[in-house]
Amino acid sequence: MKEIKNPMGNVYVSHRAISTIAHQSAIESYGVVGLAAKNFAEGIAQAIVKDPTMGVDVRYDGNSIEIDLFIIVEYGTRIKMVAESVSNNVRYRVEKTIGIPVEKVNVHIRALRISNTD
Amino acid sequence: MNQKLKTFKSVDGQLFKLLIEAGLNWLKTNQQLVNSLNVFPVPDGDTGTNMLLTMQAAYSEIQNSGEKKISKIAHSVAQGALMGARGNSGVILSQIWRGFSRALDNQDVMNLSDFSKALIEAKNTAYKGVVRPVEGTILTVAKDISIASEEIISKTEDLEEFLDFIVKEADKSVQNTPELLPILKQAGVVDSGGKGLFFILEGFLKFLRGESLETSTAKLVQPIALMNGGDMEEIEPGQDFEVIVDFRPSDPLNLDVFYSDLTEMGTSIQVGEGDGIYRMHIHVPTENRYLPIDYTMKLGTITKVFMENLIDQMEQKESSKQKQLDLMPVEPDQVAVVAVSPGFGLSQIFASLGAAAIVQGGQTMNPSTEEILHSFENLPTDKVIILPNNKNIFLAAKSAKEATVKHVEVLPCKTIPQGLSAMLRLDPFGDIDEIFEEMNEAITEVDTGEITVATRSVEINGVNVREGEAIALLNSELIASSPSIESACFEILKRIDIDERERLTFFYGSDISKQDVNLIIDHIRKKFPKFEIEIHEGGQPHYQFIIAIE
Repeated sequence: MKEIKNPMGNVYVSHRAISTIAHQSAIESYGVVGLAAKNFAEGIAQAIVKDPTMGVDVRYDGNSIEIDLFIIVEYGTRIKMVAESVSNNVRYRVEKTIGIPVEKVNVHIRALRISNTD
Repeated sequence: MNQKLKTFKSVDGQLFKLLIEAGLNWLKTNQQLVNSLNVFPVPDGDTGTNMLLTMQAAYSEIQNSGEKKISKIAHSVAQGALMGARGNSGVILSQIWRGFSRALDNQDVMNLSDFSKALIEAKNTAYKGVVRPVEGTILTVAKDISIASEEIISKTEDLEEFLDFIVKEADKSVQNTPELLPILKQAGVVDSGGKGLFFILEGFLKFLRGESLETSTAKLVQPIALMNGGDMEEIEPGQDFEVIVDFRPSDPLNLDVFYSDLTEMGTSIQVGEGDGIYRMHIHVPTENRYLPIDYTMKLGTITKVFMENLIDQMEQKESSKQKQLDLMPVEPDQVAVVAVSPGFGLSQIFASLGAAAIVQGGQTMNPSTEEILHSFENLPTDKVIILPNNKNIFLAAKSAKEATVKHVEVLPCKTIPQGLSAMLRLDPFGDIDEIFEEMNEAITEVDTGEITVATRSVEINGVNVREGEAIALLNSELIASSPSIESACFEILKRIDIDERERLTFFYGSDISKQDVNLIIDHIRKKFPKFEIEIHEGGQPHYQFIIAIE
């Protein structure tokens, strides 16, 4: 639950805080039309309370952060590129705002949204 | 004064092809300029190149086409852009073309009002691709262009005047991007993607005016193949098969009922919807694999079914895991290190420290001489240092040394921590004998603790071991047998010289869960607050912990 840095004391950053940053940068990434619940239980919880960390899983091993994103992508985009750019965006934003290296961003494409058929 | 070649009131397929070519060429001329604007997001560092490659893929779809219908050509452009989309800006650009072409469905030619409609649809489609559009980007420029087009169609019927106005408005929009996106303002630039879109449109205009695009006709830089996207999902128990069904329900679908019925069958349920077609995705255990299909069939017409064996796929991925190691590339004449590693996590650590090759192996799975030999024979250098990381493997490594003409040294490191400690001294550009000397010194600087579970009852070194107990080894000597993993860890820590050592690195094995690891480490942290403690996934079998004590 904590990251420690030592300028003039300790700074603790919760997983939830990191998840929120990751969530926000994910939904600003082009091609991402939503985040999906990691599992059914989360999906149900989400129906009750809108959670700003849905679809994001953060792990911290004392050195670096690993993030899992569960996203819904717009049908008709090049999914590989969307995945790459969302992972870049999230990594960049988390590293920049928190200052802890992000070792991995795993992107799980949970669904495609078809908003138009060609 | 520019000389007008011809006045156009509408665009057919062939003219559109020429416009696209001009847009591509003009973008190419300005590619570096667009690249240089890039600040957002920083990792996507070459917007100009990405947009250019996307446009090239689009153009190559129509390059040899004699098609006269605008709808067909526009559609091909969209298709090419989709398949060749590169980078974030490329994806957005491909969506712009997708919307553009959709508005022109079944049209032979595009008049200015069609052009405007296409630009509006392009904007709409582009905006649909993201939950929270960031303004001050190519999206904003696409929006401003569509607004401008609506404004101008009532004032002119001439394509050149139409484009002239749009290009001017696009330019204004680009210049305004720093006002909308602070990061651009900080960097003192305009948005690169927006600028790229501007160049494409300006290329259209320049072509109509017969102006130079300052470059020869574009050639395809490289063929851009359709990427087959890897499935990145993780698999939990009861998720043996992935089933995806596209269907058209005969009655309006009650999503709540649909969801709850599916929940009975499996997990990871996703339902997507579009134009009356639903796509259902579910993970089910093997015995339930046909259930979702039978169930959906009752609700309406199934158009497509996709089924995949996830277990099998997972196993294939597992076996390819080794290949995903990021090994250090070596050049001729550099010193390469081959490390023997018992687990994937440890292999990754060795690789990140600069190992050029990894051989799988450890206490209970000694690699053969041949395996070791194979690992370095194809490396492009003659200088190799082998880290056996286990005393049982030392001999096999020695034999590998005898069997090759390469200059091979075998470091007498008996444990993983010794090997890692030695890795830290590696200088690939140095002299092999000096490096070897350094490494040899390094292995004495670390103590190794190992925790495993006794497979039988025995007495060694005066320690009574009972089967199933956790045993602790310090520098490969058995020192204690304890009822739990945790107490075995404490046995080791009790015996090390606390004043001399300050850093513990735990590599946990595949036989222990991360929760247990955290629990144990928390207790150790409390009891020995003096130590700096790090935890890494080692992935080694049998050994719950390998501990480096520095």
